[in-house]
Amino acid sequence: MAHLSFFRLLSLALRQLLRDARAGELRVLFFALVIAVTASTAIGYFGARLNGAMLLRATEFLGADLVLQGSSPANTAQINTGIDQGLEHARVVEFSSVIATDSGIQLSSIKATDNNYPLRGELRSAAEPYGTETPGKGPAPGEAWVESRLLAALNLKVGDSIDVGMKTLRMSRVLTYEPDRAGNFYSLTPRVLINLADLDATGVVQPGSRVTYRDLWRGAPAALVAYQEAIKPTLAAHQQLLNSRDGNRQIGGALGKAERYLNMASLVAVLLAGVAVALSASRFASRRFDASALLRCLGLSRRQALLLFSLQLAILGGIAAFSGALLGWLAQFGLFQLLKGLLPDEIPPGGIAPALAGIATGLVALAGFALPPLAALGRVPPLRVLRRDLLPVPPSSWLVYGAALFALGLIMWRLSLDLLLTFALLGGGLIAALLLGGLLLLGLRSLRRLLANAPLAWRLGLGQLLRHPLGAAGQSLAFGLILLAMALIALLRGELLDTWQNQLPKDAPNYFALNILPDDKGDFAHRLSEFSAQAAPLFPVIPGRLTHINGEAVQQIVSKDSTGDRAIQRDLSLTWAADLPQGNTLSAGQWWQANPPADALPGVSVEADLAASLKLKLGDHLTFSIGGMEREAQVSSLRTVNWDSFQPNFYMIFQPGTLQDLPTTYLTSFYLAPGHDQQLVALSRAFPAVTILQVDALLNQLRSILGQVTLAVEYVLLFVLAAGLTVLFAGLQATLDERIHQGALLRALGAGRSVLIKTRRIEFGLLGAASGLLAALGTELISLLLYHYAFDLKWSPHPWLLVLPLLGALLIGGAGVFGTRRALNASPLTVLREG
Amino acid sequence: MGPSILIAQNLSKVVPSAEGDLTILHELSLDLKQGDSLAIVGASGSGKSTLLGLLAGLDLPSAGTVTLAGNDLGSLDEDRRAQVRAEHVGFVFQSFQLLDSLSALENVMLPLELDDRPDAREHARSLLERVGLGQRLSHLPRQLSGGEQQRVAIARAFAADPAVLFADEPTGNLDSHTGERISDLLFELNQERGTTLVLVTHDERLAKRCRRLIHLEAGRLVTPLEP
Repeated sequence: MAHLSFFRLLSLALRQLLRDARAGELRVLFFALVIAVTASTAIGYFGARLNGAMLLRATEFLGADLVLQGSSPANTAQINTGIDQGLEHARVVEFSSVIATDSGIQLSSIKATDNNYPLRGELRSAAEPYGTETPGKGPAPGEAWVESRLLAALNLKVGDSIDVGMKTLRMSRVLTYEPDRAGNFYSLTPRVLINLADLDATGVVQPGSRVTYRDLWRGAPAALVAYQEAIKPTLAAHQQLLNSRDGNRQIGGALGKAERYLNMASLVAVLLAGVAVALSASRFASRRFDASALLRCLGLSRRQALLLFSLQLAILGGIAAFSGALLGWLAQFGLFQLLKGLLPDEIPPGGIAPALAGIATGLVALAGFALPPLAALGRVPPLRVLRRDLLPVPPSSWLVYGAALFALGLIMWRLSLDLLLTFALLGGGLIAALLLGGLLLLGLRSLRRLLANAPLAWRLGLGQLLRHPLGAAGQSLAFGLILLAMALIALLRGELLDTWQNQLPKDAPNYFALNILPDDKGDFAHRLSEFSAQAAPLFPVIPGRLTHINGEAVQQIVSKDSTGDRAIQRDLSLTWAADLPQGNTLSAGQWWQANPPADALPGVSVEADLAASLKLKLGDHLTFSIGGMEREAQVSSLRTVNWDSFQPNFYMIFQPGTLQDLPTTYLTSFYLAPGHDQQLVALSRAFPAVTILQVDALLNQLRSILGQVTLAVEYVLLFVLAAGLTVLFAGLQATLDERIHQGALLRALGAGRSVLIKTRRIEFGLLGAASGLLAALGTELISLLLYHYAFDLKWSPHPWLLVLPLLGALLIGGAGVFGTRRALNASPLTVLREG
Repeated sequence: MGPSILIAQNLSKVVPSAEGDLTILHELSLDLKQGDSLAIVGASGSGKSTLLGLLAGLDLPSAGTVTLAGNDLGSLDEDRRAQVRAEHVGFVFQSFQLLDSLSALENVMLPLELDDRPDAREHARSLLERVGLGQRLSHLPRQLSGGEQQRVAIARAFAADPAVLFADEPTGNLDSHTGERISDLLFELNQERGTTLVLVTHDERLAKRCRRLIHLEAGRLVTPLEP
């Protein structure tokens, strides 16, 4: 026996495994591993496939090799430089405008392209909604291609006409794919593609309108480099050069963030599954002490005994990991399905790598969490065959925790998590868990005293919880946190926008009108008053970019992803006003002095949060680039702004008389009671350049996107819930022998099955209810803080959260009774046999 | 001696095994009167515990009948048999078999509560005082010594005033001095309450204190039952 070959041991391990599997011994361990691998594979595939989609489009992402983008057209010299380099050129102009038909209006994202567009990738369109796609160049003059959702929104069909500004165009095809729209995941408004030749006739683009001009270039790499070098010194502040890498980086940033959060969820799932693996592996080990002692007596070496049991777990782990990888691969389709419409339609398959990484995660978790308890099997003294009370020396806690931590570290490294964020969350979670766990424990103890005179089943159920108080508190906490996360997401999705909308005044403006030309200003205000719309004043708007603070370039001052960073990445809407607008309050400095000294810089009033992010103080010198010209101003006051008022609000308000010489459009907001669509159509036809934004429609779009995203997050949380359930089952399995014994004893003493069932229901129902209560209180507390501090909304309690204790009781009660059903059927005779 | 309380007729127990059917008990009959005491002795594997399980209705015979307090156990399902046990039977086990999650008092209350007795608490308290544990009511089993645990188990066994008390090696896990005191207690209560006592034991002194004794060997009666 002592000279068993590896293969003999392997076949022995396999046979033993089959025997154990038939006995249902290793089910929990198996499922815990499957869930860990499924979660990490699914999320791995999600990330990999999205990155793949980005890479696939790397060249066609911009529809070109290089793009010169600006809020004003590129100058002739800039264009000629490219043409001189022998590059191909195409022009694109993008802006938002209202599409009017006889039945209504729809804000759309208009894109006018010349006949060269696109230079990379291809346009695709269909003759009818959801028809067969065909590639080809864009619409001819007089035609428009539209996304099918525009047809749906305005109840139109292909062949009908639409008005873009003053120009009537025939919708000739349904636009299905634009190469340079791949990254535009969050586009709220439907696309209308028109020919650049029709642009002037629309009359929409006027000086001061918010428009993006793109010059697309394609050519040999050397020529592109030469062009870049030549053009860089000539770039105005509103212009930037984009190559495929830049485009990807932006999208990559947003995606990377989403992926990191999903990875955190998968880490939690793996962690919970790891706990389940550790619990079941330790039961696996302790039930094999006798077998191990016997094998040692029969001449097996410690190493061989250990190898035999390790092989069993390794085979099991391998099967579980492969099943998990397969399930994870299937599960990611669900995730993509939930996010359909927000993500590019075409996503390349992720290859085998995410599956392999998922399998590796599962095996590392198995090794980290199962090997320490297993190691005890090698140390079972052979004398145990004579003296059953002899137990192996337990592994040192260094080994146990060290292996688990090492495994976790490996997995975290693989997920390339933000370590600081992860540790902050895990640490915060741990402290919260300790505090809440202590409270729960106290609660259970006092419940025990309170229930001293309660019926038998209650005392038995509660007593069982208190037999393993730490386990009970831990389980209740884990489920509490999972339920909390799900409830919080549901709450935010279902309610936040509603609450915000409900708390707006009834007559808060529901439309914004942008791009009102100075000549139309008076007429427009008059027309609004005609259909008794309550309008805010008209504010002048000049797009301009903040470039320097006290002579220093702004890029060097602000931190990444801050309010200030976002504000300097785009044109700000600059305005001037004589009086402090409604809803604004001065927080520092003074409003304009009646007569500023002639030689002083013009004053500018800055919104307080932006000022804080840009580290601005009173008296700072700001330099703006406006339509290719530089303007200087001095910070004269800081303002707080009520952003929820739906009044036009501005980050920067200039002193009157300082920007008047620049091309200006006007902006206002107004309230129009529902049912005035015809007036809007008339308004939009009368003022073709004016863009009318419908707040309700935008909110509805936002709501549907929010709905999709939260659904996807909850989908991922389901894995975490499943992992939590495996921990529950592993915990139950660890106490199953004890429960079977208790069940048998109670039956011997004359208890009917109903008493046993009732006891279990009470025990697990209580556990679940405690989790639910914890989740409800936690959700309520977090929502209170969020409403109060983050959203500045009036908070009111959410009675529906009281469903959570009930839900927890049903979920965990059901799982618990199911997991211990063997204890109900225990023969009372076993108490004699054990005695 | 009162009327018959426990009657076994031609009791056999056969279990299937790899080598064919294995007969553990072979056509065994006995008749116990109210207040009687019976010791079942024999070597390991002779079928003692199997017989005890059948008599107490914890298991069903392959052939023959058991009538306990007028109930034919073979004709009842497990829940009805549990009901019979709750009403008429008490148990004392070698390894005490107290519920770890319940206090001493609650362990003794258990059979009374299963029987829906309103005075469970008072009755259990007086029994614990009777076995000398009046000061340990709220202690959990792990806080008690072996002898104390067995005294709680005895109090529990007598709590519902059972007609028959089954004891399986009641002194097996105790040292001889403690064992002696436990068996004294068992017989005192048996006398006081007129309970019928059936015990399985290796302990000859304990066996001799019973009025009747049967010796089992390979599932057969070797010492004829004295009338």
